[in-house]
Amino acid sequence: MTITPAPPSALPTRRTPLDLARGILTGAVIGSSLAALVVGTVLERVPLLVGGLAVPIAYGLLVLAAGAPERAREAAIVPRTTLAKIESLRATGGETSDVPVRFDLTVAPDGGPAYRVESTQPVNLVDLPDYKPGGIVVVQYPPHQPWAVKLVKRPTPEWEDRATAARIDSAPGPALTDERPSDGTVGGYLTLLALLLGAAGVVFAFRADLFGPEDHSDRPPSAAGPAEPGTSSTTIVSAASGTVALGPGQSLFDEGRLRRAVDSLTKGEGRKRQALTVVVQDRLLTVVFTPVGSQAPGFDLDALPYPRIPALVREARATLGVRSPQTWQLTAESLSGALTLRVGVAGADGVASLEANGHGEIVRRVPAR
Amino acid sequence: MGWHGYLALWCIVLGVVALVGYGRSLAGVTRGQRAVRVMGRIERVTEPRHGSSGREGIAVVVTFRDPATGQEFTVTNDGECGDRISTAWTGQEIGIRYPPGRPHAYRFTTDPNAGRSGLGWPNFAVFLIYVGLVVVASVDRGWPWALIGFGVPWTLLGATYLPGAIRDSRLRIEGLASGGPVPGRVIAVLKDVTVDEDGETATSHTPVVAFTTHDGTAVTAYRTVGLSDPARSRGRDLTIHYCPDNPVVFTPDLAAEHRSRVGEIAFAVGALLVGVAAAVAGGILIAG
Repeated sequence: MTITPAPPSALPTRRTPLDLARGILTGAVIGSSLAALVVGTVLERVPLLVGGLAVPIAYGLLVLAAGAPERAREAAIVPRTTLAKIESLRATGGETSDVPVRFDLTVAPDGGPAYRVESTQPVNLVDLPDYKPGGIVVVQYPPHQPWAVKLVKRPTPEWEDRATAARIDSAPGPALTDERPSDGTVGGYLTLLALLLGAAGVVFAFRADLFGPEDHSDRPPSAAGPAEPGTSSTTIVSAASGTVALGPGQSLFDEGRLRRAVDSLTKGEGRKRQALTVVVQDRLLTVVFTPVGSQAPGFDLDALPYPRIPALVREARATLGVRSPQTWQLTAESLSGALTLRVGVAGADGVASLEANGHGEIVRRVPAR
Repeated sequence: MGWHGYLALWCIVLGVVALVGYGRSLAGVTRGQRAVRVMGRIERVTEPRHGSSGREGIAVVVTFRDPATGQEFTVTNDGECGDRISTAWTGQEIGIRYPPGRPHAYRFTTDPNAGRSGLGWPNFAVFLIYVGLVVVASVDRGWPWALIGFGVPWTLLGATYLPGAIRDSRLRIEGLASGGPVPGRVIAVLKDVTVDEDGETATSHTPVVAFTTHDGTAVTAYRTVGLSDPARSRGRDLTIHYCPDNPVVFTPDLAAEHRSRVGEIAFAVGALLVGVAAAVAGGILIAG
C-alpha cells in the first residue's frame, strides 16, 4: 500500500470558553458545597447540610443531562478502522503488567491521505515484543477526531490478513497528538480559584454566626462564649446558682457533656452541694443550689440519671405529637420528696410534656394539646 | 422544616424517580428494553499467551446478524465490549446486545436477558424509600422496628432465593457427574499486576484450562478456583468433569465442587435464619 504524504489536516480542539466556564462553575459548586457542609455542621443548620449534599447532586445530574445529546451523537458515529505503521515507540513507565507505550504512527486511512500521530496506549509486557518499529498494526479512531487513535489488539481475521500483506510509507511530520494542549493548566487554576471563591462566599454569608462578637451580656445564653466550635463554654457560679452555656457546635446531649458541666459547677467544693432545681436546654444548664443551712428538700446532683436524659428528651420530642418541636427543656427537682424529671417540648402543634422518676423511667405523658 | 419534612422530601423525590422509571418501563422505552439482543457464534478461539493479562478475557472472533438490516458482522472482544469471556469454544453461542441501529456498539453478555425489563433504577428508588421509612419508624417508635424493617424483607428474599439455589446446586452436581470425566491440562497461567493507591503491588494468577468434550468440542476456559498453587500450575494434567449440556459448567475436582455448593447453601440458610431471628426479636420487643 503506497501512501501519498499529506500535512496534518486538523489539530486537537483546544479548550473553548464554554469548557472554561464549565470548569469555573464546577469549581464553584464543589467549593460552596463543601463549605456548606462544614458551616452547616458547625452551626447545626440542617438546611445547609441538605443543600451541601443536594446542590452537587443536582449539578451533576444537570451536567449529565446537558451532555447527553453530544454523547448520543458521538456514540452513533461508527469508528473508522485502518492500518498504521509504527515509526517508533517507547515505554513511558508503569509498574503494572500493562505499561503505557508512546507510539509514533503513520496512519493510512483507506482513500485518504496518510498522517502522523502520537498516541499513548497500554500494552501488556508479554505482548510488547509484538510491536516493533516498522511493524503494521490495526487502529481505530472516530472520523472527526483523527488524533484519537486506539490500537486494535485483537483485529478480525480480515484485518489481520490486510496487516500481514500491507506496506505503508512513512508520512512526514509533525505528528498529531492525543494529549491535551498546555492551556489546560490555566483552566485548572481558574477552577481552583472558583472553588476557593465558592467556599469563601458561603463562609462570608454566615460570618456573623461563625465569627460573631464575644459579647456575652446581650446575647442569648445559647450563643454565648467564643465562636470556636467544640470547645468553648461559659460558666458562672454563685452561692445560690450556677450556669453553664456552651458555645456553638456543642450540645449538652453530647456523651458525658452534661455530667462534666454539672461537675464544673461543683468543683472546688469541699462537699457535694445539694440542688433545688436543675434546668437543662440544648446548650444551657442552670442549677439552683439549696441554700447553706436550709432544710429545703434538695437532691444530690450525682443522683441524676445522666445516661437516660438524652433518651428522655428524644422520647418527648418524637412521641408526644409535637411535630417539628422547636424548643425543649428538662427540669429536675425533688420538691415533692422524690426526684422527678420533666421534659417539656413546644412547637407549632402546641406543648407537651413527659415525666420520669429518679431512675429515668417514664411515669407520665402529657401529649400535645 | 423538621427532619420529618426532609424525609417527606426524600420520599417524594425518590417516588417521582420510581414512577418515571416504572412509566418508562411500561411504555417500553428504557434502554434495556430498546436494546437489540441477538445471539452470536464464536468462530475462532485464540489460545491465551502464557503470562499475558486475563482482564480482557479469552480472545474470540464472533459473527452475528443484525435483525434490522440482515447484515452480518464479524467482531472480536477487543477493549471494552461487555462481559468478560472466560470460557469459549468454536461454535459456542454468545449473547450480544447493542442500541438499536448501532451494531458497532456491541457488547457481549453471558446473560442475554439481563436488564431486559429496565426496572433496576426504579426498584432501587423504592428500596431507598423503604429504608427511609424504616429509619423513621426506628427513631419515632424505637429500634426494634429496625429489626422488623430488616428482618421481614430479608427473610422473604431468602425464602424466595433458597429453593431455587438448592435446585440449581443439585442440577449442577448431577450434571457434572453425568458426563464422565475427560482429560484436561493447564495450558497457560495469566498474570495481572496492579498497584493500589498506597503503592502496594498485587499480582493475580489465572490458570487457563483446555479440555475436549466427549463430542469433540475443544473448550478453553479460565479457572480461578479449585487449583492449588495456580502460579505454578502450567502444564498440570487434570481430570475434568463437565455438564454435557453446557461445558461452561466444569470442575477439576468434583468433591470440592460438591463441598463448595453445600457451603453456599449453608450460608444461604444461615442468612435466612438471621432474617427470621431479627424479625422475631423485633416482634417480641415491640409486643413486650
